[in-house]
Formats: sequence, C-alpha cells, structure tokens
Amino acid sequence: MSFYAEFRMLSEKAMTFNFPPEMPLTEVFRGRHVLDMEKCVGCGLCEKICPNLAITMVERGEADEKRSYPQVDYGKCCFCGLCEDICPREALKLSHFPFIVVLGRDALVYPPEKLAEPPKLEHPVPPKIKGITNWAISRSFWVNFFFTGCCFIEAAPWVGSGFDMERFGMLAKGSPRHSDVLLIGGYVTVKTLRRILRIYEQMPCPKYVITLGCCPVNGGTYWDSYNTINNLEKYMPVDIMIAGCPPRPEPIGLAVVLAMNAVQSGYMGKEEKVNKEEGFLEVPSVEESREEGEYSIPFGPQHPASGNFDVYFKLEGEHVKSARPNPGYLHRGFEKLMEYRTWWQNIMLVQRVCVLDGASYELSYIGAVEKLAGVEVSRRVKYLRTIQAELCRIQSHLLNLGLIGGATGFDTMVRIAWGDRERILLLLEKLTGGRIYHIYNIPGGVRRDLPSNFKDDFKKEMKYMLKQLDLYDNLCFNNPVFNGRTKELGVLPGDMAVRLDVTGPNARASGVRFDVRKASPYETYDELEFNVVTSEGSDAYSRVLCRRKEIEESLYIVENALEKIPGGKLFERNAKGGLRLSPFSPLPKGETIHCVESARGELCFHLVSNGKNTPYRAKIRGPTFDSILVAMPKVLEDEHVAEIPVIYWSLDNCPADHDR
Amino acid sequence: MAPSVLEVLKQEFQGEYTREKVFSFVKVQKEKYFDAAKLLRENGFERLLTVSAIDWLDENEFEVYFLVYNPAENVYVKVSTRIPRENPEIQSLSSIWENSAMHEREVWELFGITFEGNTMLKPLFLEGWKGPHPFLKDFDWRKYVKEFPM
Ligand code: SF4
Ligand code: SF4
Repeated sequence: MSFYAEFRMLSEKAMTFNFPPEMPLTEVFRGRHVLDMEKCVGCGLCEKICPNLAITMVERGEADEKRSYPQVDYGKCCFCGLCEDICPREALKLSHFPFIVVLGRDALVYPPEKLAEPPKLEHPVPPKIKGITNWAISRSFWVNFFFTGCCFIEAAPWVGSGFDMERFGMLAKGSPRHSDVLLIGGYVTVKTLRRILRIYEQMPCPKYVITLGCCPVNGGTYWDSYNTINNLEKYMPVDIMIAGCPPRPEPIGLAVVLAMNAVQSGYMGKEEKVNKEEGFLEVPSVEESREEGEYSIPFGPQHPASGNFDVYFKLEGEHVKSARPNPGYLHRGFEKLMEYRTWWQNIMLVQRVCVLDGASYELSYIGAVEKLAGVEVSRRVKYLRTIQAELCRIQSHLLNLGLIGGATGFDTMVRIAWGDRERILLLLEKLTGGRIYHIYNIPGGVRRDLPSNFKDDFKKEMKYMLKQLDLYDNLCFNNPVFNGRTKELGVLPGDMAVRLDVTGPNARASGVRFDVRKASPYETYDELEFNVVTSEGSDAYSRVLCRRKEIEESLYIVENALEKIPGGKLFERNAKGGLRLSPFSPLPKGETIHCVESARGELCFHLVSNGKNTPYRAKIRGPTFDSILVAMPKVLEDEHVAEIPVIYWSLDNCPADHDR
Repeated sequence: MAPSVLEVLKQEFQGEYTREKVFSFVKVQKEKYFDAAKLLRENGFERLLTVSAIDWLDENEFEVYFLVYNPAENVYVKVSTRIPRENPEIQSLSSIWENSAMHEREVWELFGITFEGNTMLKPLFLEGWKGPHPFLKDFDWRKYVKEFPM
C-alpha cells in the first residue's frame, strides 16, 4: 500500500453512517404501506394485483354499512408497489418507512387500522445493566451468517464500512460452535433447511436466531414454490424476524439493538427444539469413492466464502484433483413460478433470480415481453434503462471486488469497496425507489422519471468513484501481495471459455472479445461510446482487473447517457394489433428470445406465449450456469486448496442465478 | 456463411424456420435433431447456450430444444423438436458441446426427459425429492403447497 493511499484513508471522513438512523436515506424508497381509509372504496384491485397474496380484503363497520379494506401481511409483501400503482383512489401508498421488526409472525399482519396510522420509529430504550455477564454477552455477539438467500445482500453492508457491525461488538464467525447468533439470510429450501438445522444444533447455548426477509417466515415471493420452506418456526425456534424483501440494513440494525437490549435484561433465547420430520431433514451423508492418498472436503454451503452453494473437492496432498459442484440450495423454480403470474406481475419476480445484478434480469425479461407484445418504447425509456443497468453493473462489480478482498484476506478492500457500493445503491434508490430490487421496468416503459437533481448527484459520485478507483489500484492492483495472491491462478484459456460457454468479464479476461452490448446492442448501447475491456491474462487477477476497468467504462456510459437523454413518454400503452397494455392484458401467441449483457455475462430470456395473460413457458439462461457448474471444476484442477476462494470469487458466482 | 447453414437446415432437414433479427427458430424431426446440431457445430456455432424443454400437455408432447450461437456471424439458432410425453428420450448433445451434459441433466431432473449418451443424469438441484418432475404442466404447485405445507 502506498503512503499516499494510507494518508488519504486516514485524512478523510469516516464512511460509516450514524446509528440508529432517524429515517432511511431517500423519500422514494418503497417501505411500509399507509392506507387512507376515507379514500378507499374497497374495490379490491390491490388484492387482485398482489403477486404474493399479501393483501386480503377485510370487512369493517356495522351491519348495513359494512365496507372492506385491505389488510397487509408483511410476511408475504415484497414491497413491489404494484398495489400502489393500481389503486384508483390513491388510497394505498407506500411510505419510505422500512422498520418492520417483530418477535412472532402474527405481528406481521397489519389490519387496515394499523395501516392507517402513520409509521413511526420508536427508538428502543436500553434497559438498566443488571449483571455484568449479560451485559458482556450482549456487547459481544459472535454472529454466524448463513447466507441462505438474497437477503444476505443487505447483511453484507454490515460487514462493510457503511454500517460496520463491529462497533456493536459483533463479529462475523464461520464456525457455528463459536457463535451465539445465527443470522438466516433469506429464502430457505428443503436442502438448505437440512444444513440450517445442523448448524443450529451445533451452536452452544444460549443461542439466538434472527431471520431476514419474508421468505423464512412465510415463503415471501416464492410462497407457491414446491421447494420453499414457508414456515421456519415449524422446524426450529426463531427469536427475531425482520420483514422486507430484502430488508434494508437499517432495520437489521434495529433488530441488533433489540437483541442486545433483550439479552442485557436476561433473555436466554427460546428453548432449543428441532423438528427433523423423522429424519427427513437430516443432512444426507455423501459417500465419495476415494483412492489411497486422496481425501475429500466439502466447501460450502455455509463457508464464509461460498455463498449458498457447495462443492466437493477431492484432494491429493494439498492440490485439487477434482471438484464436483452441488447446486440447488436456491432452487425456487422461477421459470415455473412465472407461469403462475401475469406478464405484468412477473416484473417483480425476474430481478430476484440474481440479487447481485437485478437490473439486467429486468431488462432481459422486459425486452422479451415487449418484442412479444410488439411495443416500441420511447428513447427516454431506453436511456433510463441503460442508466439503471450500468449503475447496477457497477455495484455488482464493487461487491465482487469486496469478495475478492475477503478471499485474499485483504479486509481493507472489503470495507472500502462495499462502503463505496452504498453510494451507488443510493443513486439506484433515487432513480428507481429500490436499492436492490428496483422493479423499475414495466411492459411499455418505466415506473418513474429521472429525479430532478440526479445528474448533479451522479456527477459528484462519479468524481468520487474515479478517485476511489485510483485508490483500488494502489491498494490492490499495484500491490505485490495482491498480485501474488491472484496472478497465474485459476487460468481459463480463451478457447476453453468459448467451448464451455463462459461469457462476461470471465471470458473477456481471457481475450474473448464478446459483449452483447456491442454484438447485438439493445436499449441505447449503439448510441453510446464505450470500450469492451479485454485482457489476455486469463487468470484470477485479469478477471478482477477486468471488472475494475468495467466500472470505469460504466461510469462513462452513465455520464454520456445523462448528457444525451432526450425527452419522451415514460409509458407506451399501445402495442401491436390494437393491444393495450395493462396489468392483466394477455400477450399474442408466439415465442421470443432476448439477450443482454449482465454483470456476469450473457443472459437470455426465452418466453413462450399461448395467448394468455401468463407465460406458457419462461426459460432463463443465466451466465453462471456454465461458468460455475461446468467451467469452474476445470479451472480449479491442480490448484492449491488455499486458493479455492480466490479463484471461485474471481469467477464471480451468483448461486441464485444457476439454481433459479 | 451462417445463413446458408440455415438454408441447409431448412431444406435437408425439412425444418420449419422463422427469423427475428439475430435469432432464428428452426423446427426439425426428432431423427434430425442430432445431425442438425452437428451441422451447426461444424459451421461455427461454437457456443451452446442452453438445452431445455417445453411441456405441451394438451398435445401430449414435449418440445426439446437447444440454443446455439455463432460468434463470427453473430447469429443465434434455436433448434427444437417434438417427442411424445410417454418415455421421453432423445440423443444427448454432449459429444458435440461439452457443456450440454449439465443442461440436459437439469432437463432430466425437472421434466424427466432422458438423454441417451449422457452419463451425468443424476439429481442436480433437488435432494431426496420423491414427487413428480416439478416442471411438468400437470404438477400444480399451488395445490401441492396447500396439501403439504412445509
Ligand atoms: S407491495 Fe407488492 S407484494 Fe406488497 S402488498 Fe403491494 S402488491 Fe403485494
Ligand atoms: S386500497 Fe385502493 S385498490 Fe385497494 S381496495 Fe382500496 S381503493 Fe381499491
């Protein structure tokens, strides 16, 4: 690390936000509903549109003056805002209040009266210190993060410098046997549940369980998937539930403070109890055939560097002989879930396929739908979509830089890259109303216009980011230690990349000059100047460097797009053949494919319509299926076991993408 | 040239053929499925993007298809064929494109279609799943989650 970099870091303002926050950062964020009971006419449209069945109409009033009002279950709501959009009376609105933290799932159901109350954050009052032991435990939680689903993405900022969990005395721990708190980060499948139960059993008492998001409580958005665990409490105790989809980092902080207070007042956690359904939920033992001198080790799904995904390695000495990926922990069956939802409702499902880069999934889906419908959106919409996609690419690459930092044991990089990522997320939130899941696109347009001061905000952040990229160069790319940990590791030759269908930065770092944005430009990429970043290195270093350079390119694309963006309609209702697009309208028969360049490579949606208002078949071809399940085992062959996390993250996996 | 390969596909394999910008959709007979794949591979279609299926329940057929890409010409081709829904079987493309084995494994698990010559047909995503192949149209998930709440 150069002296300059060190000096800069010491002289600048801390990146950490104050806590507890008065309110989340922007007004446009989609949080808890507010219902105006005077305005509501009880039409029930909100109940009809809600893709998650989160809204039920309930009756209120005396016998002959009965009226119905919506009741919202926050164990199911994903804050898509479709109900707000459809309400003809503007009676139901989303506020930007994100704090829904409860101790039992019943408290997640908000009747109309409660929805009518303006939301208010009640700051928890710290209890009196009773005993030094309890106080000490409450100030030194060792937290076992199990990143079961997408919600982990909002727990990650707690590791970065934006939210910084360590100031609460908390430490992230990989080993269950040394943890007090189990943090379950979102969606749970049967396969994952088996591992959760095993981890829970291994933890010493007292143990506390916190769940993130709607999924573990009530199935959330995936409530109708055959592979979803809809009620985790049936299998093990849960102490605190944080609603949201995903919850913001702020409510996670609130939950932490609540937990600290409870433990300080002597709370010892719920009674240990595990229901394994007569052995059905035991983790199956794997019988690997082994030769003399070989041994096998599993990596994941709860390894701090694995994501919810695992690989069995066969080792000879300390070198990988073979690797067998074992995916499926995040298999929700998205493609079939889409068949149950209307073309319109699916806009809130598609970005969830890959939490790390949701915008590309929106663009790919919407592009295919618009081709099917035969609708031409305005150029303003196309520019807005480009801006959204590129900002999303930047935050995804920053996340990866942090992960590489983690894998190389370079903690500073994790904190800085993830701290910087917060600033990009803030821009995305200002533009779309969502940090992670933007749900910005609808068939025929986008849901909101460019905010008035967005250009200035972006300029400021761009200036900052360019400076930061210099810092990254000093910290990492010119740093001999980082070079030593990444160069000539995990070599993926260019011809192999093509043969095994590896795309994106992974292939470009092996000299393959392929980028969908150039090959078949969509949105406005043909009007914007940018370079396709390639390198001949083919190793882990080149892949990471490629992403770092793409961040820069993306910044210029957004800058350029913001300069060029023309006026135009935000929504085009009229499609081919007199079709008028609405949340329930059917699409003409046919099939189509639309491919985009996501942060991890080529992403295509293949949609088949049989003339109904739901897809007949949706096939998602994500970029990681081949790069991880097919190519990674080959790339890892003969590598030293200690390099596995580095190589793995240099390939930038998103388990949710290949499992779908 | 890629368009000429598509011509060949159309004529020799009596494929039905539609085109939408860079995407071409070709339908062939089951017997021609493998040969069509081979022809494409020999003509610059280096990348196989996916192998997948559609359950046409009302017609009692599966549509099996693959999507390939020719980087030099920037052309995508989707080749599909229909097979009966009972004992569905089709040749594997794993001898042509290495990565197809994994895609076929997914289709085998989710739709129950067997790919002859694929040595990888073992559960991929699911662990100890005893129910019907989940992506079949006659397996109603909403009914299932009501009957067996987890
Ligand atoms: S925000 Fe979306 S998920 Fe939540 S109640 Fe409204 S429509 Fe349903
Ligand atoms: S909130 Fe709006 S959409 Fe829902 S019932 Fe009332 S008026 Fe209708």
